[in-house]
Amino acid sequence: MSLLRSFKPVIVQDNCKRCGVCATYCPEGVIVKIGDDYQIDYRYCKGCGICANECPHKTISMVREKAEG
Amino acid sequence: MSVNEKFDEHYKQKLVRPGNGCCPGCGGPIAWRMILEGLDKNTVLYGGAPCASCNMGTIRLPQFNFHFSFVGDGASGIAAAFKIKGREDITVVSSAGDGGVGDISFGKVSACAERNDNIIQLCIDNEAYMNTGIQKSGLTPYGAWTTTTPEGKKSKKKMIPMILAQHRIPYLATLSIAYPQDLLEKVKKAKGIKGFKYLHLVMPCPTGWRSLESKTVEIARIAVQTGIWPLYEIENGVLKLTMKPKQRPVEDYLQLQGRFRGLSKEDVSEIQSFVDEERDRLLERDGKNIWL
Amino acid sequence: MPVKKIMEGNEAAAYGAKLSRVEVVAAYPITPQTELISVIASMIANGEMKAEYIKVEGEHTALAATVAASAAGARAFTASAAQGIVFMEEVIWMPPGMRLPVVMCIVNRAIAPLGGLRPDHNDSLLQRDTGWIQVYCENGQEVLDTIIQAYRIGEDRRVYLPVAPCYEGYFVSATAMPVEIPDQEDVDKFLPPYKHELYSLYPENPRRVRTFGVSLAQSRYEICQAMERAKSVIEEVDKEYGRKFGRYYDGMVEQYKCEDAEAVMVTMGSMTGTARDVVDELRDEGKKIGLVKLRVFRPFPTEETQEIGKNVKAIGFVDKNTTYGAAAGSGIGCIEMARALYSLQERPLLLNYFVGLGGSDVTMPQLRYIAKKVLKAAETGKAEKEVEWVELEKLEE
Repeated sequence: MSLLRSFKPVIVQDNCKRCGVCATYCPEGVIVKIGDDYQIDYRYCKGCGICANECPHKTISMVREKAEG
Repeated sequence: MSVNEKFDEHYKQKLVRPGNGCCPGCGGPIAWRMILEGLDKNTVLYGGAPCASCNMGTIRLPQFNFHFSFVGDGASGIAAAFKIKGREDITVVSSAGDGGVGDISFGKVSACAERNDNIIQLCIDNEAYMNTGIQKSGLTPYGAWTTTTPEGKKSKKKMIPMILAQHRIPYLATLSIAYPQDLLEKVKKAKGIKGFKYLHLVMPCPTGWRSLESKTVEIARIAVQTGIWPLYEIENGVLKLTMKPKQRPVEDYLQLQGRFRGLSKEDVSEIQSFVDEERDRLLERDGKNIWL
Repeated sequence: MPVKKIMEGNEAAAYGAKLSRVEVVAAYPITPQTELISVIASMIANGEMKAEYIKVEGEHTALAATVAASAAGARAFTASAAQGIVFMEEVIWMPPGMRLPVVMCIVNRAIAPLGGLRPDHNDSLLQRDTGWIQVYCENGQEVLDTIIQAYRIGEDRRVYLPVAPCYEGYFVSATAMPVEIPDQEDVDKFLPPYKHELYSLYPENPRRVRTFGVSLAQSRYEICQAMERAKSVIEEVDKEYGRKFGRYYDGMVEQYKCEDAEAVMVTMGSMTGTARDVVDELRDEGKKIGLVKLRVFRPFPTEETQEIGKNVKAIGFVDKNTTYGAAAGSGIGCIEMARALYSLQERPLLLNYFVGLGGSDVTMPQLRYIAKKVLKAAETGKAEKEVEWVELEKLEE
């Protein structure tokens, strides 16, 4: 999936308030609470950025995917 | 267990798993994830919803489909078969897009409503024929660009929920992906009622609406907040507005979508007055029986 | 004890559906089928028939609901004619491709604009490409019997294809005759409950035929194979029906007085009854003429027709249909027959006669005319005219 993504979302865990809004709105359903943290399944994430847009605490950054050599 | 294994364990608990062919930011998968939370394993899905049906393959329920010109009819057949076999416990859900429900199979949906067939009919509305490349449908809003209305659609959006309400069906509701709790309650309510239930969900299509993929949920929210997509339910004819948000100017909604770029200032005020009138009409009838 | 009752063809069809323990009916009225569905509706309403009747708003929905009900596990039935058939054309392609054995009666009626309410065979023959099995019934008794046989044939795991018992509007649908109604217990022994091995929509164990993944060519080839296998299934089922109920329809093709025939006429549907009388008349005069009733059109009885072709000098195919611009100006049946005969080393003469187009009567004088022409061709070894529009000729009575 990283081949199709331009940007990937990264949760800054220290700022994350564990509200679960990102998980609610992710179209693919790939943001899942594992243990204490919300984690993103990058195998299926399409990089749409809805999670970053919806996060009330601005805790998710969209980071450019590095081109693989 | 590795992280990936933990993810996979989680997906096993759900009726839909990731890995679909929809565009990034498509409202379809969000809608399905939320709707399926309100249903259970004892469900059969009929139909797809052409664009958002790129996602049907990931849904873990028995499915049967012909084509979008076959909305509701197969569900009636399946419901009849289950009835004669003593399996009315199984929920039959028929789904289609705005093109299927509103245009090509409109007569069929009307007939299912008239017969009060025991099914839930979903309309997953992205306001155009998206799967064939963004052509206008009867549910495309006034002023929207599509490939067949490049100068902006001249006619207004067909109001399917209100038309079906006059069929005297037991329950119908409008849904939004931006209000998941409201959506869930309505899906669960529909599931518990016998007869024809209609659930209509309008959701952004970034590709066809020319909007940012990341703003899909935000746009859906503003649609409700402006009154452009009001959230209500009609149970046995009684209208109930389930969201009465503050009145937001329609411009907030229109400016986020490239398909409305061609609108003039006059067009926007026209849309604003139209939306204001519709809102007032709804507020006036809130809590009342609207069967004419 | 089987009961005999005077009834029209449509009512006989309703009895066929009832005896087959059909569970879901979704049908839309169209002349000349309407009595069929209103009799079924009454039978359900008075408890004689235990089925769900979906009162659909159009024929497209009628067949769609029928097919979906079959996928969901119910034995399903519908019926239509002419405009209704072409209106549901999109749906007709679905059950063969999906391997769902529904039964739909096609109550033949000519298609507009050059038609009316009366019958010709274009509406059913138009479906010859789709993968439906087609059986042409001569009278009400045959309709009742064929519907019961149709479920046995279609639901056979060697087949899994939909079946269309075809019968003419008015001439069969509205003609009254004594019809024997078999006992339900006997039919139950002949026709077990419907259980599709490949489909289940029950959430506790869903199953679905996969037609994608395998190549499209492969899927289509499999349907052709099923059609081939259907030939022997049709014969088996008809023979068994004959043993149990006393009526055997000769399977794919009936040969009447063909043993030493030099010339034969080939007919489909109710004109066969009239044609038998013409053959009897001519036989009394010592003419060596026979009659072939093409009971099954799909799968086409290639082997039977080739056998007949080896033994006669001239064949006159009587087509009650039109296919504009076709090869050599021929009719649908004649074209199929020609292809079957083409493989023979020595071929008989093949003549083509159009009758009853748009629903007009097929009369004794017309069939006598045809029979005499075919006999003359057999005698002289030459065909005067290969194709004749009999209704446009002036005939002696």
